[in-house]
Amino acid sequence: MEQYDGFMQNSKSSSLTSKLDTGSWGKTSPSKSYCSSSSTSTENVVSTLERRKNTKSNNETGFSLRPDEIPLLPGEKICEHARDVTYLCPYNGPARGVLTITNYKLYFRSADKDGNKVIDVPLGVVSRIEKVGGASSKGENAYGIEIFCKDMRNLRFAHKQENHSRRDVFEKLHQHAFPLSNKLKLFAFDYTETFPENGWAVYEPIAELKRMGINNDMWKITKINENYDICDSYPAVWAVPQHVTDDEIKSVANFRSRGRIPVLSWIHSESQATITRCSQPLVGVGGKKCREDEKYISLIMDANAQSDKMFLMDARPTANAVANKAKGGGYESEDSYKNAELVFLDIHNIHVMRESLRKLKELCFPNIEEMKWLSGLESTYWLKHIKCILAGAVRIVDKVENHKTSVLVHCSDGWDRTAQLTALAMLMLDPYYRTIKGFEVLIEKEWLSFGHKFQQRVGHGDDHHSDADRSPVFLQFIDCVWQITQQFPNAFEFNEYLLITILDHLYSCRFGTFLFNTERERVQERVKELTVSLWSYTNSQIDLYRNPLHWANTNQQQVIIPIASLRHIKLWKTYYCRWNPSMRIQDPVYQRIRELLRLKEQLVKQIEECRKEQQSRFSKANALPIWTDQEIGFVRWVLEI
Amino acid sequence: MNDFKNSRFRSYIGTPGELEDIPLGDFKRAKLLDGEILIAETENIILYTSLSEPRTYRKGVLTVTNFKLSFIPNDEDEEYLGIQQHYMLKPYEVCLSSVDAVYHISEKTRKKLNLGQSISHKVKELQIVCKNMRILHFSFYRANKDKVKTIINAILHHAAPKRLSLLFAYDYKERLNSPNQYLKDVQWFEKANDWLKELDRTKTNKLKWRVCKVNEYFQVSVNLPQVFIVPASVEDHILCKAAEHFQSHCSPVWVWGTPHNTALIRMADLDPNIQDRTQENIMLEHIRRSHDSLHGPHILDLAKDFPTAKELQTSFIKLRELCNPSSGRLFKQQDNKFYSLLESTRWLHFTRCLQNAVNGARQLTWDNCTVVLQEGSGRDMNCVISSLIQLILDPHWRTIRGFQSLIQKEWVVLGHQFTKRSALLDNDSNEPAPYFLLFLDCTWQLLQQYPTAFQFSETYLTTLWDTIHITIFDTFLFNSEHERKKAKRETKSASFLSAWDYSRQFPESDIHLFCNPLYDDSFSERLYPKHTVPFLEVWRQCYLRWLSGVEIVSGGQPQIDLSCRVLALEINALRQMLLVNGVDTRPKYNQAKEDILHLMQKVNSFFPFSRNDGQGQGFLPGNDLLSLDAQDSQSLLNLTNE
Repeated sequence: MEQYDGFMQNSKSSSLTSKLDTGSWGKTSPSKSYCSSSSTSTENVVSTLERRKNTKSNNETGFSLRPDEIPLLPGEKICEHARDVTYLCPYNGPARGVLTITNYKLYFRSADKDGNKVIDVPLGVVSRIEKVGGASSKGENAYGIEIFCKDMRNLRFAHKQENHSRRDVFEKLHQHAFPLSNKLKLFAFDYTETFPENGWAVYEPIAELKRMGINNDMWKITKINENYDICDSYPAVWAVPQHVTDDEIKSVANFRSRGRIPVLSWIHSESQATITRCSQPLVGVGGKKCREDEKYISLIMDANAQSDKMFLMDARPTANAVANKAKGGGYESEDSYKNAELVFLDIHNIHVMRESLRKLKELCFPNIEEMKWLSGLESTYWLKHIKCILAGAVRIVDKVENHKTSVLVHCSDGWDRTAQLTALAMLMLDPYYRTIKGFEVLIEKEWLSFGHKFQQRVGHGDDHHSDADRSPVFLQFIDCVWQITQQFPNAFEFNEYLLITILDHLYSCRFGTFLFNTERERVQERVKELTVSLWSYTNSQIDLYRNPLHWANTNQQQVIIPIASLRHIKLWKTYYCRWNPSMRIQDPVYQRIRELLRLKEQLVKQIEECRKEQQSRFSKANALPIWTDQEIGFVRWVLEI
Repeated sequence: MNDFKNSRFRSYIGTPGELEDIPLGDFKRAKLLDGEILIAETENIILYTSLSEPRTYRKGVLTVTNFKLSFIPNDEDEEYLGIQQHYMLKPYEVCLSSVDAVYHISEKTRKKLNLGQSISHKVKELQIVCKNMRILHFSFYRANKDKVKTIINAILHHAAPKRLSLLFAYDYKERLNSPNQYLKDVQWFEKANDWLKELDRTKTNKLKWRVCKVNEYFQVSVNLPQVFIVPASVEDHILCKAAEHFQSHCSPVWVWGTPHNTALIRMADLDPNIQDRTQENIMLEHIRRSHDSLHGPHILDLAKDFPTAKELQTSFIKLRELCNPSSGRLFKQQDNKFYSLLESTRWLHFTRCLQNAVNGARQLTWDNCTVVLQEGSGRDMNCVISSLIQLILDPHWRTIRGFQSLIQKEWVVLGHQFTKRSALLDNDSNEPAPYFLLFLDCTWQLLQQYPTAFQFSETYLTTLWDTIHITIFDTFLFNSEHERKKAKRETKSASFLSAWDYSRQFPESDIHLFCNPLYDDSFSERLYPKHTVPFLEVWRQCYLRWLSGVEIVSGGQPQIDLSCRVLALEINALRQMLLVNGVDTRPKYNQAKEDILHLMQKVNSFFPFSRNDGQGQGFLPGNDLLSLDAQDSQSLLNLTNE
């Protein structure tokens, strides 16, 4: 929550959000005819729930914050207090107050009369810290620190020019924002909070394969990579074609970039059509071939009796795939792979995506130029890339679902674009991944276990902000998921807040989930023993993340196919523009639905009370109750939805 | 016709070869209404599915009558689950007056055929572009050539007649004439009574504002209604004199007020030939005197910041071309540039006129200041802004009946020139401009931002836009109340129905969809809409509904809408159980609930305007249309390498 609102007042008074929104939205009370259900608040439901929870837990521990205290997480320590610091808010002007640095966050509280404004930012989101102005700079607020964040905002603080007042703050910030560059541990290893749910237990690779019916006639589970010898960026457990030998696997691994051989991601429970993933073949300029690889792919094709064809989906633009030959990589030639059809999906590489996001940040932060908004948005290409990824996933789904044909997906290394495509295709094909826990499994499996390099792509605790390995690949995936939720408002068990929470903690380094590059590294570093899983946190307050419309999806179709057209794809303003108070948008639709659901519950309760009352009255009078079993059945029927 | 042979076809559609096997006379014909006359009819016509790639199509009969252009597919019996059921127009029928342009399509060219002219050359393919953005694309290659010529000339000739009296409304004879529940509470604002009620409802002091009947025989202005409200201090003879100085003689008229006698006033500009502003000042002084605190009014000059009719029409045409491209190739070219193309239509910039409505609303309430809207002849942007200000401030207008009354007041009796702006006739006074659509679009933007504040749904707004192009109803047919009264007086034989009587057009089940299930009737606050471009959206249901390729199968807004209907049903069922202690209401609600849940599985995102014809699950919409082609990716490469 701290990250979600970013700029909120302390938890006892009402938040700035609600204050602003009272002005712009008016009171939304439930209708008279729909009786007087509880909330008259104008805040979004999630923030209300979250605040109530905070207040409650504070009361339970008999602890409430004094104005000069700051809320600390278990394991969090204060490292630096700086008084007389001015926060230069791009929207509400400067505010003077106290800046505190802990080993987890920076925390600013203004001492201005107009209430306690708070800035609360985990240091994990910081990508760069710069000094602004020098000792001789003239003008108010010209001397200070600017902080560039990974989550679409920058923060500026001004310090007094006497006594190098910013020096200590700068040092502490640098130390704890970039612990790895300073030979320190990431905060996740200091964080000691415990939760009722254990997020590390969410994903069990073998259980997940069993859910899909593996082992079966055509597919088997293998532990050949148990010690990460065959492929150090793959998980320990794979599902591979039943009739492949260990030696063949080793030969295939030699022919695939970084040993990332084709393994199973998903299998259609009826048609047995599969989605498998791998890296590019090491074809090179000479056009090398590998008989074992060819055989292996034909085994994948044969494992699906419904089709005598197979698709090899190369996520890259054709030109890039060709260019990779020069570096020893490349793509499968259709001559060598019988009955396989090669398709290029035209998704660009990590560098193009990074540049696109940079432009998007320029457009959205801090202020928006209204008259050029649409053409400005287009010139970032962000939505065009999103469209491209979605269109690629839709093509995979089309082949698997409508043509009952198996699809093998790869890009260059098979850990960026490939993960986007397989995970999105699985989300569209299988309703399980559209539940909260199923979505967590999907991330654990397609992203974490198959070695999307989170450490490199996000740059946890590292001060090389211009590192060419950084790229918003996972952010794009979550954006695509959001686009699908917009097109299918009741197909998902979770709401947008879960997606935002995941992105916030992608950067925060509070949880161990997104640390390191591979499963192997996480095992080596004993992440499961020494850190908390993000899913422990989310699953312990799961109601916050529920979509109030999901119940209406019980009879719905299994497969959802979004429209990959810019006529539908929109900018995710509640994420990218959330720091701008004028862009903050309520969701009155979900709020209303929650009200109606609450009302329904109340009525059901009322009816049950009536029934009990009558029963007791009539039992005293030795008569039969008026309420029959039928009516009780009705109440249950209503409750069930 | 090579593409025919190479294409895949959906199973329900025949291949071209089969056409020869169909014996003549074995086809279904258009049904005619009372008073409707058949003008031309041709069989063996092909209607393409919009932008289908590969091409899919239907075979059937094309008919032109004095009311409609009708295409009846040979396989007409199929159930159109996703489409609003219309009593007068079937799924492939359009009112002739909604035809906006006709194009002759040949191998490489797309040539516009002018309405009112005749053709003598051979035509293979024809595109009909409608005022509500729909495009009908016909192929005649199997049809009788002479008959084709006849029918095309019939379309060109009858789509826009020279005189009002040639419109179908003058010929339509409705036999049933029972008064209807939907008309019960509409305020018509034709007579003094409705205006008086409005003064009472807004708690306006009748000593300060009075009903004026000086225009009873339209002697002051043919553009003002017979009855309207003016400051109490204005005597009739002063008003008559002043009116002569205003364009179209549209002197100031009260349209809405507050208990403080702050008023919303509409008026025209002074006649451009008159330099002396004395008469205008006299009227403004009377308006000032009717304000409780004698504040001078604030004048919003709507001629200044707003689009002219021509600009608005140009913007609309661009929007239409963007939302409903005439070919699949165009669609692909547009899609990646959709946002900048949208910006260049300027449509969203025009919907920013919400800002002026917000400002006007603020002046009326926070500043307690009377607001006078002034504009040319006072009947275009005045209608838009005045209606929007009232929607923002007054919850009364946000109900279905209230909204109709608002349109009746601001658009119908105060004389928006529907004939001229909808280009119903083919004559020199034509000046098409979709001001009414602009108003509906702005209302839709308000509905997006305040989904619980309105009793009506977006389906209602879309339907309303379709209705203004159906020339059976007198509501949106005329340029003024004067013309309407004259037509009714002179044409006794015609029925002249009101558009507000939905039961003439739709069955109950479709009328239900006009209600917004999220509506919260206790929401009585004023609205504070955001009006900058980042907050404005494209009205997808209304503008994109003809493109089946971009329809989300089993997704979109209807899912929210229908789930809320289920919830509302359950809540009502529970209420009833509490009220009538122990009556078993289960079977009734159970059935209704099952019906809705069943519908939810079947309907797609443009429901109830779905053109996917019951194409249900598993069908991959627009896959070929939406796949990138090589040219696209190349351009992206070039751009990103810059």
